[in-house]
Amino acid sequence: MNEAPVERPGPARIFVLMLVMGVIGAGMMVQLIRVQFGPYAPVFDARSRAGLGLEERLIPERGLIYDRDGVLLASNGTMYFVEIELRQLTETSRREIASVLSKILVLPMEDLYSQLTYDWPAVGQYRIRLTRSDPGVGRLPIVLDPTVVDVLEEFLADPLAPDLSGLELVPTPRRHYPNGSLAGHVLGFVNQEGKGYFGVEGYYDEWLSGKAITVRRSFLPPDARREADPPAGVNLVLSIDVDMQQTAEIALEEAVRATESEAGQVIVMDPRTGEILAMAAIPELDPNRYEPWLERAEKDESAITPAVAAQYEPGSTFKILTMASALDAGVVQPNDIFIDTGQIEVGGHTIRNWDFSAWGAQTMIGCLRYSLNVCLAYVASDKLTASPFYSYLTEFGIGQLTGIDLAGEVAGQLRTPRHPEWTESDLGTNAFGQGVSVTPMQLLTAVAGVANGGAMVQPHVVREIVSAEGVYRPRATVLGEPVGPEAAQALTSMLVESLQGETRRAAVQGYILAGKTGTAQIPTDRGYDPKWTIASFVGWGPVPNPQFVVLVRLDKPQTSPWGSVVAAPVFQEIVERLVVLLEIPPEAPQQLAAGG
Amino acid sequence: MILALVEGRSGSEVQFFRRYPKQATRQAPWRVQIRTTSNTMLALVALLVVSALYLAVNARLARAGRDVLSLQARRAELVRRSGELTGSLADLTTPKRMLERASSLGFHPAHAREIEYLVVDGYTPPPAFVAPRPIGGQLESRGGFSPAYTETLGEWLQRALAGIRGER
Repeated sequence: MNEAPVERPGPARIFVLMLVMGVIGAGMMVQLIRVQFGPYAPVFDARSRAGLGLEERLIPERGLIYDRDGVLLASNGTMYFVEIELRQLTETSRREIASVLSKILVLPMEDLYSQLTYDWPAVGQYRIRLTRSDPGVGRLPIVLDPTVVDVLEEFLADPLAPDLSGLELVPTPRRHYPNGSLAGHVLGFVNQEGKGYFGVEGYYDEWLSGKAITVRRSFLPPDARREADPPAGVNLVLSIDVDMQQTAEIALEEAVRATESEAGQVIVMDPRTGEILAMAAIPELDPNRYEPWLERAEKDESAITPAVAAQYEPGSTFKILTMASALDAGVVQPNDIFIDTGQIEVGGHTIRNWDFSAWGAQTMIGCLRYSLNVCLAYVASDKLTASPFYSYLTEFGIGQLTGIDLAGEVAGQLRTPRHPEWTESDLGTNAFGQGVSVTPMQLLTAVAGVANGGAMVQPHVVREIVSAEGVYRPRATVLGEPVGPEAAQALTSMLVESLQGETRRAAVQGYILAGKTGTAQIPTDRGYDPKWTIASFVGWGPVPNPQFVVLVRLDKPQTSPWGSVVAAPVFQEIVERLVVLLEIPPEAPQQLAAGG
Repeated sequence: MILALVEGRSGSEVQFFRRYPKQATRQAPWRVQIRTTSNTMLALVALLVVSALYLAVNARLARAGRDVLSLQARRAELVRRSGELTGSLADLTTPKRMLERASSLGFHPAHAREIEYLVVDGYTPPPAFVAPRPIGGQLESRGGFSPAYTETLGEWLQRALAGIRGER
């Protein structure tokens, strides 16, 4: 039986097979060399070093900020950066990405196209974040809101839509301030990297931001662990009341406009607890659009939180502290007579009254009512003398930080006899608020001490810190008792009388209020500015159990330089609303039986 | 039988067969081959079973891992949307908007002169606002997976044996 001959493959077929296998092998070799040494080698290398797992950074939600009644002041949202994966770009997608983005975002197409065509790999970049030009600020990353993102994502998913190959929308947390500029100076802001600056956002940044953690998941072998949540940021409840804040801001804005002032501030504080109830400043700051403020802050660090950083010579409002010190030391009594000759010499420096007049015989009440510089210089230099005077000022916290929980506070400046540049004339000028620098918060805290019967309480803006572990409520911290209750009471009575007599523009019908005006000169490199002043008013009420202290400051008012003319009415307007919001009745309320 | 084996052999060979009589009962080669093949196949089947088990566990583990990732992404999305909605709600109820709406309805801020205060015995003011606790602020891992998803084969065997011995 003959076997059928075995058909062996011919040489041609073997050759073809070998050729195919050779080509495949060569292709693999080329790819290996390309991966190992090609332009993307660093990318693959980094991927290799990271392993086959997925590394993720878990960022906790930033804590929310509420006002004292639960009105949300700062919340979280999402914004999207526009990133380009350059290796996925085509010539078509370059043009269409630039075209689509320029139309949707109303940006110059040439600018976008030039970013897309720049030779980024030459500088080692394979992924870029598109930016836009902002006048006065420079180049900022393009940020999209969720509505625009929805449109772009539809484009990306639709094969018939413009070619957006290489475009990626990268979500990132965004801080949102629903009330816009309301309490903007209190809040501060959070930048695009999630870091808080100024105000509460700056002071409590670490608390609010929580702690981001990096987790790594392995896919080979697969990993099914459930990662722990990153420690969340705390929620804050501020002592600010949005209604009072709005009242203060509206009154201040109207006053700044009416008096054509350059800037203005209002602070409302509860002297019993140190809680800041409102803190307004003009120009207003909208934390949602903080970028222009960055440049301003570079020139003037006090611009963003002027209440704690904008030092000024307080002028006559400082007389409250001088008189309180003298009363507490027992060197003067309210009805002591001082003969005002219109000038006094202290340390070789002649001090005159604001109107350059001699006011004759005046009680201490009259000295405050008519704001006589000569009288207060006499009280400080002849009655109180330097050492006790500066000791009292130090007790009042002048030249020191109040410790308020707002970022950027400065200490002010007080030259004491120990200072090498101190002269005896400083004693005379310091007595009526010249030659000494304070922040509005510092002065308010000291005056609140007088209003509170001598006990000076540390100001604060956060009344509750809520974390995952529990609730913490900071207690009122007494900074000291610079003067006793008798002196505080006597001074309050003097200022009540003073306000009812001279400063009726600050009075509110049905309420007993105490207060003092201030008109301060502005120091410059060549002495005091001859034209501009800082007009202010600080007052409290209702006497005898004050529930609020209000400080009003107007910088460089043009309609009138006097605090009694431009600042006192703002105090009156705010207090008229404040007594309603604080539910303070003007007189003894009618007793109503339960169920009646 | 031995005689038959030693027949025709040299003396030393005869002595060898006498010393090792088992050689006389050696199995036929095909029997040895079958037995070896059977043992190998048995080991192979056992290996396949174990491999299949391992693969099944790993497949479930991988699927669970993907589910976890997917659920976490979903959770993050819901938290994000919740934050957006909270912000939108706050946008709609800002004091400025409320003031505008009240004004449009004919209201105006009350002046002290327009308010009559009454003291009501037994009245207690509303409690102070307490903010909600922050989301996702717990360090410890909540919930968890069955050990079947994370244990090694050795651990599974130990657990299974412990179960058989009635230790758990």
